[in-house]
Amino acid sequence: MTLDVSTARERRYGRWLLLAVLPIVAVSLLPLFYTFISSFRPGSEIFQYLSPLSVHTFWPKELTLENYATLLSGTFLPALLNSVIVTTVTVVIGLTVASLAAFGLAVFDFPLKNALFVALVLSFLIPFEAVAIPLSSMFRDLGLANTYAGLILPGIGNGLAIFLLRQFFLGIPPSLSEAARIDGASWLRVFWTIYLPLSRPSLVGAGLILFVFQWQSFLWPLIIAPSPTMKVAPIAIADLAGEAEIDFGAMFAGALLTAALPLILLLVFQRQFTNSLASSGTKE
Amino acid sequence: MSVTRTVTSRSRTRTRRSALTALAFLAPAVVGVVLLRLWPAVEALVGSFTSRSGDVSFGTFERLFSDPTFIGSLKVTLLFSVVINPLQIALALLLAVLLTQTVPLVGLWRTFILLPVAVPQIVSAIIWGVLFRPDGPFNSVLVALGLPAVPWLTSPDMALWSIVIICSWVGVGYWMTFLVAGIKDIPETLYEAAQLDGAGPWRRFTNITLPGLRRPLLFVLVADTVANFLVFAPVRQLTRGGPEGSTNLIMNTIFERAYQIGDLPAASAATTILVLIVVVVVGIQFRLLPGKD
Repeated sequence: MTLDVSTARERRYGRWLLLAVLPIVAVSLLPLFYTFISSFRPGSEIFQYLSPLSVHTFWPKELTLENYATLLSGTFLPALLNSVIVTTVTVVIGLTVASLAAFGLAVFDFPLKNALFVALVLSFLIPFEAVAIPLSSMFRDLGLANTYAGLILPGIGNGLAIFLLRQFFLGIPPSLSEAARIDGASWLRVFWTIYLPLSRPSLVGAGLILFVFQWQSFLWPLIIAPSPTMKVAPIAIADLAGEAEIDFGAMFAGALLTAALPLILLLVFQRQFTNSLASSGTKE
Repeated sequence: MSVTRTVTSRSRTRTRRSALTALAFLAPAVVGVVLLRLWPAVEALVGSFTSRSGDVSFGTFERLFSDPTFIGSLKVTLLFSVVINPLQIALALLLAVLLTQTVPLVGLWRTFILLPVAVPQIVSAIIWGVLFRPDGPFNSVLVALGLPAVPWLTSPDMALWSIVIICSWVGVGYWMTFLVAGIKDIPETLYEAAQLDGAGPWRRFTNITLPGLRRPLLFVLVADTVANFLVFAPVRQLTRGGPEGSTNLIMNTIFERAYQIGDLPAASAATTILVLIVVVVVGIQFRLLPGKD
């Protein structure tokens, strides 16, 4: 929808629609705004002004950085670092596995190909939380408890990422790879030099799916990595909420820091994310 | 597909070789699915048919299905699914349509609505836990408006709907993104033609947008349904299944049985039932997907 085709009437109509959109945006942002504000409040102030309603319910009386100081002196930073490591490795390996599989499914023809595709996507659609308990005893037997590998492995298989990339690969003209094959390129080379570079937007989309999934995970780290040094950020924050005396200020600060990194990534990649899905996932 | 035709016209050895090459590319994913999904699923299945003494039996299932707590948990899970999935998808669709119009700064609004995805579920549960406190900001606003305070998480009638709100805060924006992408994929010319024919916004929605969105919509339906069967963090953090079992979603039951009661056969049996429900529901929905390729 480009501006030059939109008439004055359409733009006026768009401004009216804005009135419908803004309250929804407000609802979406309000909890984040509240978190942001509360993270800069002295601990005693957080619940003091909740009721009755006053300006100070949503705006702090005095600003402080003490919550961040408390948080950073504890075990939160190592946990956040663990989250970053686990998620980054998940995205890199996950993208490799998914794009290789998608290439295999999109480019070659072999018996039972469609059955394999449906089986792969369906099995990965049963997220591992559902089978977390038997999986965790297997991981413990293999000595993967309290290791990065134990945290990362279940996140790398993602049916949605395979599905997305396969759809995109199907749209790449076969003539490109045929020409390269005649020139003597190996399939791996075709994959690496033709398919991957052409698929950057859809790789961003698949990467974001993998990222969000691992960044969000809670039950699995709770089961497989209970050791204090292997905690990930969501667990560290939940721990703050579980202690006898809950330090809500530090918790809000932790929530904000945990959300900040993906927030930045989303803001940077959102356009590409939408576009990549638009140009791959949905073509008839 | 031209690749298909060229390859099938070649010799059989050629096909076998390409099958082997394809398998090499697929190997990591196949190994992953077998080890990380199928094997534990089979393990859960075997575990659920094994009695405490190690014999094969249906005892665990009989025990589960005669346990009112478990039956209650199944009912809560089904009620939750029946409410939350249509709700989230309808809202996501509405927002996707709104946010693909010529609204000023539309990309920014879309990003803002997607932002809650950045907050880990457990963290959003904690934030909403404060918002939902009996003396929390929501009730303060209600009281200031002269309305009665709502027992968000403390009443058996309200708690499940509060969990629905928390999950939808994240879910709606996420699923909206897929639908926005789907709408952008519909050729602009279709809308222009409809406009020339004098079709109003509602006609354009039902005759162009909805049919054009069939595939992404069904995809979102499948993925959202699966995700909502597995809701755990908000329940664990805020209600522990209560009050009076009103938020005891099946993942919470499984967790409690495995890690608090230490009843692994029951946890395995409950996992088997959950996987079965997910496979059946997703299977049905996948059949609805038009043209699998």
